[in-house]
Amino acid sequence: MSSLTYLFSRLLQMIPTFILVMIIIFLLVRLLPGDPAIAMADAKATEAQLEALRQRLGLNEPLWTQFFYFVRNVLAGDLGQSILLKAPVADVILERLPVTVFLTLYAVLFSILIAGPLAAVAALNKNRRADIIIRGLFQVGLSTPVFYIGLLLLTFLAAFLRWFPVGGYGQTFWQHMYHLLLPALTVALYTSAIIMRNLRSAIIEVIDAEYVQFARAKGLSEGLILRRHVLRNALVSTVTLLGLSIGNLMSGTLVTETVFAVPGVGRLMLDAIFARDYPLIQGLTLTFAVLVSLVFLLTDMIQSWLDPRLRPS
Amino acid sequence: MKNALFAAVAALSVTAMTPVQAVERGGTLTFARYDDSTLIDPIYADRNPDIWMVSNLYDTLLRTEADGKTVIPGLASSYSLSEDGLELKMTLREGIQFSDGTAIEAQDVIFSLERARNPDLGPWSGLLGSVENVTAEGRDITITLKNPDPTIVLMLATFNTAIVSKDAFDAAAGATDQEKAQALSTASPVGSGPFVLTDHQRGASMNFVANKHYWRQGEDGQPLPYLDAIDFLVIPDDATRILKLQAGEVDAAEFIPFARVAELKDDANINMELFPSTRIIYSPINTREKTANGENNILASKEARQALNYATNKEALIQLILHGAGKPMTSGLMASTTQLATGTEPLYQYDLDKAKALAAKAGIQPGTEISLTTLAGSADDAIIFTALQQMWSQIGIKLSVEQVDGATRGAKNRSGEFDIHTYGWVNDVNDPAQVAGWLGYYPTRKAVGTDWNNAEFNSLYEASNKEINQEKRAEQYAKMQTLYAEEAPLIFMYETPFAVALGNRVQGYIQTPLGSNEFSSTWIDQ
Repeated sequence: MSSLTYLFSRLLQMIPTFILVMIIIFLLVRLLPGDPAIAMADAKATEAQLEALRQRLGLNEPLWTQFFYFVRNVLAGDLGQSILLKAPVADVILERLPVTVFLTLYAVLFSILIAGPLAAVAALNKNRRADIIIRGLFQVGLSTPVFYIGLLLLTFLAAFLRWFPVGGYGQTFWQHMYHLLLPALTVALYTSAIIMRNLRSAIIEVIDAEYVQFARAKGLSEGLILRRHVLRNALVSTVTLLGLSIGNLMSGTLVTETVFAVPGVGRLMLDAIFARDYPLIQGLTLTFAVLVSLVFLLTDMIQSWLDPRLRPS
Repeated sequence: MKNALFAAVAALSVTAMTPVQAVERGGTLTFARYDDSTLIDPIYADRNPDIWMVSNLYDTLLRTEADGKTVIPGLASSYSLSEDGLELKMTLREGIQFSDGTAIEAQDVIFSLERARNPDLGPWSGLLGSVENVTAEGRDITITLKNPDPTIVLMLATFNTAIVSKDAFDAAAGATDQEKAQALSTASPVGSGPFVLTDHQRGASMNFVANKHYWRQGEDGQPLPYLDAIDFLVIPDDATRILKLQAGEVDAAEFIPFARVAELKDDANINMELFPSTRIIYSPINTREKTANGENNILASKEARQALNYATNKEALIQLILHGAGKPMTSGLMASTTQLATGTEPLYQYDLDKAKALAAKAGIQPGTEISLTTLAGSADDAIIFTALQQMWSQIGIKLSVEQVDGATRGAKNRSGEFDIHTYGWVNDVNDPAQVAGWLGYYPTRKAVGTDWNNAEFNSLYEASNKEINQEKRAEQYAKMQTLYAEEAPLIFMYETPFAVALGNRVQGYIQTPLGSNEFSSTWIDQ
């Protein structure tokens, strides 16, 4: 099977996933306690106004009719109108999604840059001082709440030293890079701790493998051995982990986006849930599902490139 | 009248004592907000971040002084109400223009008021329920009423009756009025207020620039506003908003948590303002005879509710939650800043002996269980619960907590599945009829969900809504307030100000008691 047909079959496999996701989203939103009309309308709204809202949103229709409309509209590319923002859901998501994607990719980049070299250093100095210090520092990173790290960075690097702006997003690409540096670092500190631990043990496992000893016996340089034989094999499980944590990262940006005043979809999700903005919650969850599926697909593609044994025969 | 005279003299002497600083023009003010606006349109504004911005983009026919009580002319240069209270005549000011330079004419007034009272459009049409029709002859506008309405003059100074441009609406894209309003606000905003919306990045930022055609004059004899522009940044996190101000990246930050007020007051670069507000924090009590699960409700007895009120130490709550920046409610029905508010003494001053006597009278046995429904995740509510649990244990009540989110609390308020729950309120309009209707008048919303249904109160309220004799109306309000306080369908807690931290350069910014952010006379000391 060529890579292209593999990709195609994987994409086909995503269809049942999405059908399931749509059913779950639809039902979960409706399982939230509290009458959505009451949540969406102002507390001052009269019964007549509530009824009009229920009518407009089709909340009086039977569940299956509501589901039918939901699926039909999604397929037509119509995610509905946000009650909270009084604007089309698709527009709102398209406006704010790039911000979160930017922040996530930035954080992934940081995670790799931080975790990769440090994991190698730690693994090569197993149980010696460097290893213990690195692991100790990451343990702190892992056990400190994200919002707290964020606030510390903001207070010290932004408000006190004035090296960075206190939150925001900026207008141009380079402004985004500058504004999002601290939030990306905040998210990365957590993720890189997980990746570092995994990569470190993977390297330790691989480094004593027979094929590595063989490469060494062949007289290859240590650098080449590390790059071609050790890292490539050690990375397989780490890539899986990274892929899995991107899903977490995207939802984890929620806290970071609030602390750093970044106008992404994470913060929007929180607002939407509190306001019981059904169309917006549905649209956002669906978007997250699509993104996470795509990331998993990408992870699989990278894995099969790293390790040919994983390619379907 | 004596009071007004005294106030005028006092105001004059204050002005005479303070060295007058000449206003400076120009500059851009950067303002950190707690939440973003969605649609700033007079009739669709339904959330505070929208309502509180309307007056910057749209002017009303009449205005109120900064105290929110005294009515003064606005886009209308004069107004008069007929003897029978059925006809309000106004004359539209000469030479006034929208921000695009077109004239503000009678047709715009008719269009705006018809929109505002159309029940199929925004949520505020009920405020103009007494209007029969609006007609115009030249610049003379006549509003004919179905019945005398004591609130009508104030309603014309309220955000929902602000004047929009008919031509701009007609030209805007969209099939429905709301789509047109949406299109207008994003594509080509045309307004009658001191500023124009130029850019809005949802959830991130919003920009206003000065309306060059605005009519009101500043202290220097030139048209307002003094500022060239305002940049709003949306920063939902309290700590980040304050850091942004401390770092000098913004000129002002609103909604400062009360725990941080003292610290910011000590900061020499920051002017920590506490603007008087109409915001009250109270807790509705379920007064139904039976609780939701069919048991006898001890709180149906007036004495039990009074006992709880006497057992609540409001000063202690104010210290714990507001760090002293608040005051106990003095009128049961409204904040003391509202028109016609009576009462100068705190309601139900903490008195454990009275509380115990009343509890005994109401038959509250030691160990009586009551549940307090609070907002999950709200630090204030958590403190309120812990404090009340301790305070009320003195009269034998075992208070438990039920934590829910805002939507669930709202649903419980409507269905009556609660004993007592936390709540808050800010007036949207200057007249007390809104808050009195909300808290006490049964047909509005079952007296804020308490199910308190008092025939005397209801008929006083109905009569007061038709009473155009201000003195008689004030008497009716005084009676309603006494009655309400006596009946105690609420735990009367406290009033809180609006806490806004301003950089030292910022002058003349006001947040009105209704919450409206007023930038028309704001200037930057360069």
